[in-house]
Amino acid sequence: MGSGNEEGAMWSIFGYLISGLIIWGGIGWALDNWLDKNFFLLGGLLLGAGSSLYLTWLRFGRN
Amino acid sequence: MRKFAFAESGEGFVPPSTADFNLPPIFGTNEYTTKPIFLVLFSVILISAFFIIASRKALVVPSKLQFAGESVYAFVRNGIGEEIIGREFMRFVPFLFTLFTFILTNNVFGIIPFLQFPTMSHVSFPYVLALISFVVFHYVGIKKQGLGKYLMGIAFMPGVPKFVYILLTPIEVATFFLVRPLTLSLRLFANMFAGHLLLLVFILGGDHLLKGVIGLKLIAPFAFAFGIGMTFFEFMVQCLQAYIFTLLTALFIAGALADEH
Repeated sequence: MGSGNEEGAMWSIFGYLISGLIIWGGIGWALDNWLDKNFFLLGGLLLGAGSSLYLTWLRFGRN
Repeated sequence: MRKFAFAESGEGFVPPSTADFNLPPIFGTNEYTTKPIFLVLFSVILISAFFIIASRKALVVPSKLQFAGESVYAFVRNGIGEEIIGREFMRFVPFLFTLFTFILTNNVFGIIPFLQFPTMSHVSFPYVLALISFVVFHYVGIKKQGLGKYLMGIAFMPGVPKFVYILLTPIEVATFFLVRPLTLSLRLFANMFAGHLLLLVFILGGDHLLKGVIGLKLIAPFAFAFGIGMTFFEFMVQCLQAYIFTLLTALFIAGALADEH
């Protein structure tokens, strides 16, 4: 494991965090628009952030 | 092209904007003859010529040119290829080397006098590069593991209770097929775009101050000095971005080659 790998891990984690927010935030936003509510976006963002952190732990923190 | 007439006509300072990136065609109205296009073509000629000359008379005791060429090659081969990809790195070195030198040259164009335009500040160029990188790393993964196994490896992380897949699979799929190429291209584009804008602010600002009253003229050198300082800073960013792009491509390839994600 050199410094290149650490930098790569950093960007992979960044990618996961972004996708989590985009995907689950996006689903929440769509639900808000569809059902005319306003709390699904926040719920989706939190769910997405939580899932990405879990995924990051699974991929980089487990061993 | 930017009009420099504003100062004489008594107008205020026009700050640099996205309009400064829309350069007019060089030949008539043909939109395929703009400066970035010529810079890309020039970079290909420049890189080819440099490395052909540097490697033509390969000697045991290298000339300065050969040494420079070999240093860049060794940096990509050992520093990125071997360290990241590992055992099978050699067949990816030509691709990584081309990617690195191409991006580096086009970035550094941003601070070369008279050229002074980073090609990658037009987002379509990084898009195409990221698309190539995207196709390569998925192709490598599919060829190595087979389509089904490769996609399953991306979508389903082993050793996780089944219901968690509802949460994680969309994130994994989005990361591999959307976020990776997007971040790859936008990082390069945004760095080059912002860097060029930053230099424009200091240099054009200094130029504008020079045309003002005596008090403003005295401040102008500081703006230029900052512009020169920022030029060195930009050189660092340009090299770093070329390195990061190549490094991440190598990491994606390494990830696709690995049997288990």
